[in-house]
Amino acid sequence: MADKAILYDATKCTACRGCQAACKQWNENDEVIPEEENGVKSVNWGSYENPPDLSPQTWLKMEFREVEREGKVDWLFTRRACMHCSDAACVKVCPTGALYHHELGFVAYDKDLCSGCGYCVDFCPFHIPRSQRDLLTGVAKMDKCTFCTTPGLDRIAAGYEPACVKTCPTGALIYGDRNELVAEGKKRVQSLKTKGYSNAYLYGDKELGGLHVMYVLSDSPEVYGLPVNPQVPAAAIAWQDVIQPLGWAVGGLTILGLGLNYLIAREAKLTKELPGKKEE
Amino acid sequence: METEIERYRKPTRILHWIHAGAFVALFLTGLILFVPPLGFLAQDSWTRVIHRVAAILFVVAPLIYIPLNWKATLRGIKDAFSWGGKDMGWMQAAPRYYFLSDEEAMPPQEHMNTGQKLWWLMVIVFGVIFAITGVIMWFAKTAAPIALLQWMVIIHDVAFIATGSMLFVHIYLSVVHPLMRPLRTGAWSSMARGKVSADYARSHHAKWYDRVSKEKEAELH
Repeated sequence: MADKAILYDATKCTACRGCQAACKQWNENDEVIPEEENGVKSVNWGSYENPPDLSPQTWLKMEFREVEREGKVDWLFTRRACMHCSDAACVKVCPTGALYHHELGFVAYDKDLCSGCGYCVDFCPFHIPRSQRDLLTGVAKMDKCTFCTTPGLDRIAAGYEPACVKTCPTGALIYGDRNELVAEGKKRVQSLKTKGYSNAYLYGDKELGGLHVMYVLSDSPEVYGLPVNPQVPAAAIAWQDVIQPLGWAVGGLTILGLGLNYLIAREAKLTKELPGKKEE
Repeated sequence: METEIERYRKPTRILHWIHAGAFVALFLTGLILFVPPLGFLAQDSWTRVIHRVAAILFVVAPLIYIPLNWKATLRGIKDAFSWGGKDMGWMQAAPRYYFLSDEEAMPPQEHMNTGQKLWWLMVIVFGVIFAITGVIMWFAKTAAPIALLQWMVIIHDVAFIATGSMLFVHIYLSVVHPLMRPLRTGAWSSMARGKVSADYARSHHAKWYDRVSKEKEAELH
């Protein structure tokens, strides 16, 4: 089946955060209300951003940036949630197979299988997965955007678009076949360029083998706080593609060697013992 | 009755069993992460809880042993790090010995032979590496820089591969190898009671045997 994707057009986004609310509502993620001893429940830190960060209950969050361009201040918005990479570091390092590539291309996971190791949290180039962790026992569960494929709440299988796309009032989020969205994104970038946004860029077309959430940006990715040319961390590749196969080779050869040794040594010992060898 | 010599004192034997048990538990709960089809065993973190309980035993047991057995600890550490030409002699003779039962070229050994010393050295070095990388991954998971955590995972795994493979060699050479009839060569009795037969000591650890015999004689006179 053709890969599906979400296209987010940052230039159409008004940062209403309807997607944030729809995401929480559909996926039944309770709101986190920060509590502090003096009764102050929230702190004004000079931004409309809220909540402060992604969390196991917040899979999608809008970020606000004030950027000075040609003497004017621009207010830029970035959608922060799982980018659903084709070369997904989290899938590579997940030791239990809980994280996997959905048949439609994006990165889904089986929460029951999650052991809470947190490798995906450490290796994601976008720092998206989050886990609630008991520091003493190590008991944890990872959570992130499921592309609305959580069992029982699977909008995609039911033929719907993801909740965030459904609720977007300005058409900044659209859902469809990835190929078509790449073409649409390129068209929009082209049109931005003709309007003078010379750094306009389609983020996710090529990054990490192609992301399943792509962004139309009016400027280069770093201006939007996105990593330029993100990569699967070298440590993940060294670990999965070198050390683990090496481990199997070393372990396997050791056991094989011991088996061979047993056969040869037993034979040698029997031959030696025939002429009445002295007690060892 | 056959004369016996004490090879391991009681605290050492207890430490060995606790460490062996903890290591096997750590090995199995860690191995699951190398075998994706077994991943379901790790779900809901319960193997990780076992891993932590065993890790506490693995680290705390020697920490209790060391202050109570200062002399043995210092001697053990000194032994682990003293290597010389006589170890080359063992390594050259070992293949013929372990494959062809040919003892001729085997030089006389101390309390530990070179192979045992290699494993003992690995236990010390990798034990410390396991403990440090493990503590960081356990308690600094949310605080440490991510690049550090990534490398901790890798180093912990390299130590796992090295010691996990050597564990098989260790068990094999102590109780499975055709020359090691456990009951006669004393693997079981030295692990359980700490004693080996004088015959075994003389044939397998001649230098150690000579040394303890002389010490005993000196005590008598």
